[in-house]
Amino acid sequence: MTKQPVQQAPSVNFEAMTLKDAIDLAVLIEEEARDRYEELAAQLILHRTPAAANFFTKMVRIEELHRSQLLEQRRKQFGDQPVTVRREMIFDVEAPDYDEARMNMTQRQALEVALRSEQKAHKFFVSVLANVQNPEVRRLFEELCDEELEHQQLVKAEMAKLPPPGPHDHVDVGDGPAPQ
Amino acid sequence: MRACSGHLPETKLLVRRLICVPVHPLHRASVRMLDDLILGMAGAGGDGVVSAGESLLNAASSEGYHALMTKSFGSQIRGGESSCRVRLSTKKVLNPGGALDVMVALNWEDFFKFGAELPLSVNTVLIYEEKAGPPPDTLKARGVIPKEMVSVPINELTKKSAGSDKAKTSVVLGLLSGWFGIPSAGIERGLQKKFGSKGEGLLEANQKALATGIEYAKGHPLAAPHELARPEASAGSKLLCDGNDMCAAGALFAGVKFFGGYPITPSTEVMQTLSKEIWKYGGAVLQCEDEIAGIGSAVGASFAGRKSMTATSGPGMDLKTEILGLATIAELPLVILNVQRGGPSTGLPTKAEQSDLLQAAFSGHGDVLRPVLAPTDVEDTFRITVEAFNVAEEFQTPVIILSDQEIAQRKEAVDQIDTSRFSLVERKVPTEAELAEKPYARFALTESGISPISHPGLKGGTYLAAGIEHNEKGDPTSGGVMHAKMNDKRFRKLEPLKKRADLFEQHGNPQAPLGLIAWGSTAGVAREAFLLAKKQGHDVKLLVPYLLNPVAEAVYQGFFESLKHGLLVELSHQGQLYRLLRMYTDVPKGLRSLCRSGANPFQPTELVTRLIELRGLPS
Amino acid sequence: MTAPPLQAKDYKSELKPIWCPGCGDFGVLQGLYRALASIGRPPHEVAFISGIGCSSRIPGYTTAYGFNTVHGRSLPIAQGVKLSNPELLVVVAGGDGDGFSIGGGHVPHAVRRNMDLTYLVMDNQVYGLTKGQLSPTSPKGLETVTSPLGSLEDPINPLLYMLAYGCGFVAQATPADMPGMAALIEDAIRYPGFSFVNIQSPCVTFGEEDQQLKAHKTKLKPLESLGHDPTDQLAAMDLARAYGTELYTGVFYKNPKPPPTYEALVKLRQAEQAKKARPRDRVLDAYLQK
Repeated sequence: MTKQPVQQAPSVNFEAMTLKDAIDLAVLIEEEARDRYEELAAQLILHRTPAAANFFTKMVRIEELHRSQLLEQRRKQFGDQPVTVRREMIFDVEAPDYDEARMNMTQRQALEVALRSEQKAHKFFVSVLANVQNPEVRRLFEELCDEELEHQQLVKAEMAKLPPPGPHDHVDVGDGPAPQ
Repeated sequence: MRACSGHLPETKLLVRRLICVPVHPLHRASVRMLDDLILGMAGAGGDGVVSAGESLLNAASSEGYHALMTKSFGSQIRGGESSCRVRLSTKKVLNPGGALDVMVALNWEDFFKFGAELPLSVNTVLIYEEKAGPPPDTLKARGVIPKEMVSVPINELTKKSAGSDKAKTSVVLGLLSGWFGIPSAGIERGLQKKFGSKGEGLLEANQKALATGIEYAKGHPLAAPHELARPEASAGSKLLCDGNDMCAAGALFAGVKFFGGYPITPSTEVMQTLSKEIWKYGGAVLQCEDEIAGIGSAVGASFAGRKSMTATSGPGMDLKTEILGLATIAELPLVILNVQRGGPSTGLPTKAEQSDLLQAAFSGHGDVLRPVLAPTDVEDTFRITVEAFNVAEEFQTPVIILSDQEIAQRKEAVDQIDTSRFSLVERKVPTEAELAEKPYARFALTESGISPISHPGLKGGTYLAAGIEHNEKGDPTSGGVMHAKMNDKRFRKLEPLKKRADLFEQHGNPQAPLGLIAWGSTAGVAREAFLLAKKQGHDVKLLVPYLLNPVAEAVYQGFFESLKHGLLVELSHQGQLYRLLRMYTDVPKGLRSLCRSGANPFQPTELVTRLIELRGLPS
Repeated sequence: MTAPPLQAKDYKSELKPIWCPGCGDFGVLQGLYRALASIGRPPHEVAFISGIGCSSRIPGYTTAYGFNTVHGRSLPIAQGVKLSNPELLVVVAGGDGDGFSIGGGHVPHAVRRNMDLTYLVMDNQVYGLTKGQLSPTSPKGLETVTSPLGSLEDPINPLLYMLAYGCGFVAQATPADMPGMAALIEDAIRYPGFSFVNIQSPCVTFGEEDQQLKAHKTKLKPLESLGHDPTDQLAAMDLARAYGTELYTGVFYKNPKPPPTYEALVKLRQAEQAKKARPRDRVLDAYLQK
């Protein structure tokens, strides 16, 4: 494996990638994002940060929806042919970084996390497309790339619905951590 | 293993007796026939008196005598004062004995450094090096002047016979053989073994020295001649070993697979023996960087499913405390040998004391019930070690073996042990089928409190062991309800131990009004005192507990029922078993604690006197 | 039928980590799952041993066998486990306080025995579980609740220590580089001997701002990109001196010729000695008077 500091270090050969593998990879990317949101939601529930937790739970559903749509497409085109790509090949493509979560984060901050993640994913697909030759795979990744942009717009629209940020959003008035 | 080896047929028990019979016409005075002889030797470390004692022990036991040797040293690493006591007998030896029958002092200064360990009586034959001059006033100040004191030019005899002073102790052995009828054939065999390979001429020199000693003794008969009776027909070869040897052997027999430890006097010999032997049985010894790592690695081995142990003494025990608690809460079987020495802190590293009982039972924070077993002599150290492994495995708990320096390091010739009467207990491990059937709950709250224990490698049995309180599955919890349930489980599972009558030894009339209680190395003295008191016509009984914790209240209550007066004898300043009993059970007023600090061993006669004195007191 | 290959999620337990949101240990845990999946040993053949501290909670979050022991003692306990069952994959995990303060005395001995263990230290330069006290790797001058006027001590240098102790595999990682970290953990586990990975895993609650993952991302320097030769022990030591100022990631040193492990030597000894064994019920014969 390469040890480059770049987050989306491709450990898969995109140039020679088949459509089946590309779809499978996309499924895994959605899956990773879904699982990460689930984890972050669990962290925030445990740490009594419900508004952000609720939003992350919503993201779990959205990512799962994307995943199942891709799976459906895969089933139609490739049936139950074996999967050859592995989750270990990708890292945090659309999944928010672990250090994005904070106790007492606001709903707006949670939406900002999602926005950054969609931007990250978009960047990933852009960088990958530079190497992809197979036209089918290109088409798939272009679609996904566009979707990420759409998602960004959706998140931004959500954010617009929220009351404007308060002057004390970043102030933590909670009890300090419990010594153990 | 349920058989009680602590039972000693009273007919075989030794009562010291002196019989005056007229013997050989050549002897002018009548010869005192002894069936029990206690010898002491003291000198500078370079003289090799301890090694001479070992030769004597070897010689006597190979002739079929029961024999026991204790040794004592100054604090120098080499060359300081050293001494030994050897007790030879035609019957089973119960303890190192009291006042000496014979004392050999190679110089006065070194002799006087050993106080209570080398006590004289008026009947002691005191043999001393002529060059050292007559006994100084220090002897008078001690209050006992032996009737017979013999000066022998030991140095001169050595030089003359051996041509150097390297055979001094062989002259001494010759003197002892000549004067007390100790068969010289065994001594000679011993010399062969010891010097046969040590360089040209050394063996011959020692043989000459031995012969010279014997000759000298014959030419200079004692005013009150003694002779050691011949042993009864020997029941086969004896085992010659110390308590630490027995512990190592017991562990191997029990199936120990891992030993982690750190050198500390007086327990190190256990690690040394296992370092040589354990590999043969597929096990491993890890000499660790410290005491904590010693017990830590042993706990790790137990977690991995192996029988494991560690050994230490007081200061090491202090350091191991935290991990003892870990083994308790994680319910991991583990055997810990503590060879007690005088404390606190460095204390008396080479002397026995019984002052770690409260530590064994209570050290560490939290509510803990920790089994503590104590051997009472070299022989039963084997059985108690096996028992400790059995208890640890059955109840999934650390178990402490509380030995002490005297038992651990006294060398003894004992009868062979029939190992077929011991059975071995293995921890209850869930089967793969059980694990496949339903999710594994490592700490399931069973009725007995014992829950099957899995180990890494076992499919379906994964769990989290931890020092943190857990639920039945093993997940951490800080809930009070579960904590209470788990504490209750950890105590409940040990209840059956208290009903183990075979972990107690009782002698005498169960209805006797007088009683003695003693544990550990003091039990040997109490056994002899019990027989002595009985012989004197007193209605007395004896209780020796091997299980010290948990306190088996019913056993003690049964013993106390008829008791008007009794002594609980312990070698510690506090009398720790007495205090432990008072904590858990009603102790009758008539039972007194007889206790004193370590390195001041009790004498059988003393116990009898103190017991009889009690009768005037309210009960 | 062969079982499907193990995935990262197969190593994830149902227990929810109690770490603060944003803690670096979440990433470490994820990297660990992935490294294990890549290696592919089933969870029941893996044992995680830890001490006490935030990061020492890790064993509970895996489906492997776990032993969350006492403070500072994970290494000796792990050695007992490994020696007792050398077939197990044994990983030791803990924090900088657990490993280099209270447990510091065990480290050189664990290294010199060279059992096939992997030691992962989640180094956050602070005591988190007890609320923000000075740790052995805290930089000099750091103000904490126990050094309110600034610490007067130099921190220890875990990398340099490990190299000096003779550790055959020394690496540093950060969850700011997830693929790199997962690969390093995997590499460490695969190294046949004692391996050490110092993972800069920030404390989100008590850690300094410049120690957080965002800062890591900008300042980390892969050793590979510097052209470092990981078989050059002296060059590794030279680079390790920058601990605390530079954030180098990757393998500092990997012994190209790993010596036999302790447990391999034990196995040989056991095989050779087994011939000399008396039956177990005759062990006392060793003391029989001839």
